[in-house]
Order: sequence, then structure tokens, then C-alpha cells
Amino acid sequence: MPGPASRAAAIIGAAEANEIGYPETPKTAIQLHIEAIKNVSDQTGIPISMIDGIFSAGWSSQIAEHLGLHPNYIDTTSVGGCSFEMHVHHALAAIHAGIVNVALVSHGENGYSARATKGRGTGRPQGGDPWSPDAMFTAPYGVAGAPSNYSHAMTRHNHVYGTTPEDFAHIAVVTRQWATLNPRAIMYSKDTHPAGGPITVEDVANSRMISWPLTLLHVCLVTDHGGAVLVVSPEIARAAKTKPVWIAGAGENMSHSSMLEMGDFTATSAAASAANAYKMAGMGPEDMEMAMIYDSFTVTAGITAEMLGLAPRGEGFTLWKDGRAAPGGKFPINTNGGGLSFNHSGMYGMQLLVEAYRQLSGTAEDGGFSGDKGKQTSARSCVVNGTGGSLSTTGTLVLVAD
Amino acid sequence: MAEYNKPIPQPDPHSQPFWDGAKEGKLMLPRCTTCNRVHWYPRLICPFCHSRDIEWIQGSGEGRIHTFAVQHRAFGGWADETPFVTAYIDLNEGDRMMTVLRGVDPNKPETIKCGAKVRIEFEKVSDDVSISFWRVVEGG
Repeated sequence: MPGPASRAAAIIGAAEANEIGYPETPKTAIQLHIEAIKNVSDQTGIPISMIDGIFSAGWSSQIAEHLGLHPNYIDTTSVGGCSFEMHVHHALAAIHAGIVNVALVSHGENGYSARATKGRGTGRPQGGDPWSPDAMFTAPYGVAGAPSNYSHAMTRHNHVYGTTPEDFAHIAVVTRQWATLNPRAIMYSKDTHPAGGPITVEDVANSRMISWPLTLLHVCLVTDHGGAVLVVSPEIARAAKTKPVWIAGAGENMSHSSMLEMGDFTATSAAASAANAYKMAGMGPEDMEMAMIYDSFTVTAGITAEMLGLAPRGEGFTLWKDGRAAPGGKFPINTNGGGLSFNHSGMYGMQLLVEAYRQLSGTAEDGGFSGDKGKQTSARSCVVNGTGGSLSTTGTLVLVAD
Repeated sequence: MAEYNKPIPQPDPHSQPFWDGAKEGKLMLPRCTTCNRVHWYPRLICPFCHSRDIEWIQGSGEGRIHTFAVQHRAFGGWADETPFVTAYIDLNEGDRMMTVLRGVDPNKPETIKCGAKVRIEFEKVSDDVSISFWRVVEGG
């Protein structure tokens, strides 16, 4: 039986910034935020002035001030790429409690443009605390950035379950197939990127080694992206001109912050966050018709599929390898082309939300609000899972069509 | 001797006994006197039983590889050393440390095994700081 907060709120719109990917003129993070916020307001007909709750990863007060808003609820949860799934969870709770009616979840990140701006305009402080556990106990050993950490999880998964990097390469191959159906995807074709278009398992294996066993094609893109979604009360959702996608379940959890404390390198807290979400929804993995799974790396997606109950432990990759997750398959996963081949700004969880809304609301069919052409699935339910940090934090949503 | 050009940790007050031990070639580990479990990294409260009675003990300096990776891309001083092997070490006393593995061939990762026995060694990287590395002493 669903919990009391199930379907207490709906997403009624999800939009992207005007320009995503590799803009010719460098963009700032705030620009990506504002473009997406304006677009979701236009899309839904909900004026920005109606927003009474603001949710973003780290800088909600700046966003609210930029918009001239004085919101009643300010949430800056910033725990990596799953922050936005958590924001939806928190917005659901706040709406259920009667505290807010229109919650804005927003993200802008100039992962690509930051190279040209020399790190300016990211909205993030530079550098870190030299007394943090990672600064003292992992950074001295040359790990730098997510790929150098996540590779350790692939090695352990291979050791424990007898899997291989080639097994996980199927995730990259199938996700690229989805990207070839999405004209907005970086890797849509040779026209959008010299390395775009279809790839093979051999291509993945033979691509440049980054952090063994992860080669380049096991690793996500680094792009610009902005996205915004509106989470609203049922009353507003029913009156809106756009289709609601209901939040049937939501959950979050974490297993660690530093990878030093990752107890099981073949598992994430998605098992717990998904259990919370499924319980609230009164549904289970067997009720899901598609999934949006954060694929920072192939190994992230493979392990997460296991945690979400979509495959037995050690066998997550089989969803992709046997074609179930592929275009035309029984269980589509990452229909936008994923962080691997669509877009990945750094904290990708927003893009999961935009695509889940797009599929479940049917708004992709007419070219969609985001400019994407073609609805890729007929799914009526979707499990969405963001992963943040070093396989550290997770937020899971069970979304259902109206 | 060339100057050490990789990141040198800045010890915080709470972990000072570890760094003091490292300078003398000893692995000092925090252990809760209530539940007797060793934890890593050093905490102000036992992460297992939440007692605040924590003592420092000298560890055996022995452990096993939990998992590893070969870094082909790195920054700063480490960029000159690629490829190199990073690893998480299961301490014989419990819990886990991170390191760069010694005594392994980064170009033959298939010869490195999870479960292989390793032993700690310390390298002086500045007047105040020595850091730990682990060397494979026996195959998995």
C-alpha cells in the first residue's frame, strides 16, 4: 500500500537551457540555470513569481536573489549528482506538509565552458579544505577526479562476480544506440562529434586507458547543461496546461562520503534509497517499465541496476548485454543517451529528471520542449536513480504517468 | 635527492598521533576502548558504537589488497609517474586505508590480485610529514 506522501506532488514541467553541450561562446552556470528556469516557466505557464520553494545544489539563495524571489522554503542540498532526485524528494515532503505549493528544482553547470573561463562562473568555491579526510588520506596518492576512484569499484566487481570490463562495455554501446536517436546528444552522429555515432564493445575496449580498468568510453562526457523542473501540489498539477508526472515514491540514502568508507565496492546505497521509494509508491521493480540511471561510468549504471532490483547481484550489465535496455528492448534504460553519450555537466541528476518527465509526459513526440525529437518509449512508469560523490549518495524516484 | 613534488598532506589536530607515528616508521591506528574496533580515518567519535573513548595503538603494518586501479592520467607530480597502481588496503586490524602500491607492475594489472598480502612502509616527504605506502609481499 502506498505511503501517505505518495503522489502528494507532481512534476508538471522539465526544461533545459537554450544551449547545452559544447557552446561556442562560454557560458556561466547561472546563465544555464536562468535559461532553464525561464523555459520551464514558459512551458508550464506557471509564472516565476509563483515559485515559493527553491531547491538547488549549493546556491539556492543566489538563484532566488537573481530571480527576485523571497521563497518560504530554501534547500541547498549538494551531495553530488543525485542532489536533484533528493530535491524532488524534499519538495514532495514540503508540499505534502503544506509548506509550499510550487517548488523549483534547478541546476546549471558549465562543465565544458569552465575550461575557457578558467574555472570562473561555476558558482562553486575553488579548492577544498586541506584537513578533509580525502585531502589528508587519499589525495596524496594521486587520485584526482571521479574516474580515478570509480575504477576501484569495477576491479572489485570483476573480482567478486567474475565480470569483465567487456561486460560493462555493453552499457556504453547500448547507451550510444540511444544517443543516435537523440539529435541533442553530443554523440548523436559524426556530425555532432567526430567520435559520435554507433560504437562496438571493441571500440570501448580499445579506447584510451584512463584509469584501468576504465577506458575512455566507459567514462561520461563533460559538458555544459542547465535544467529545471517544477514540482507542484496536486491542485496546481490538475489545473496546469502541461501533463503531470506523479511522484509515486521517493527515497534517499548514503553509504559514505569518502571512498575510504565505502564498505562494499560492489554496492551503493541505492538499495536503501530504492527500498524507501518503492515502499512509498507501493510498487516494486517489477512494476517499472523503464529506468533512468546515472551513468557517470558504465560501472555506476551496472551496479545501480542491481541495487534497484532490476537484476540479481553481479548481473546488472546483462540488461544491456542482452538488449533489454536497448532501443526496441523490453526495458529501456537511459533513453536520452545518458551521461555517457548525451550530456554530462558534472552533476548529471537533473538530466535524468528532464528525460524521465519527457518520456512519461509524452512531450517528446512533437519535438518536445527540449528540442529532442521522437518519443523513444511507451513506458508509463520509470525508476530514476541519481548517484553522487564517489558512489557515495543516492536518490531514487518512482515516477508514473498521469 | 629531488624535492618531493606530489601533494603533501597537512595533518589536522585530530590525526596527529598517526603522523607522529609515521615519522618514526610506526603505523598508529585509532581504536575504540568501548567496542575495541579500529577505524580509519581518525574520528572524534567511534563510527561503530559512538563512544568517545578512543586510544591509539600500533598496528601490525600488514594487510591485504581489497581493490585496486591503475592510474594512466594524473595531475601535478603524479602525472610524471603514470601509470601507477592505487589500492585500498584491508588492514589486519580492520577497516581500510588507501595507498599507492609498490612491488607491482602497473603494465600488468592482471598479475595484481585482490587479497594479495601487503606490508606498510613510510616515506619522508617533508621535515614534518611521512606518508605510508604499501608493498605487495605475497601473491593473492
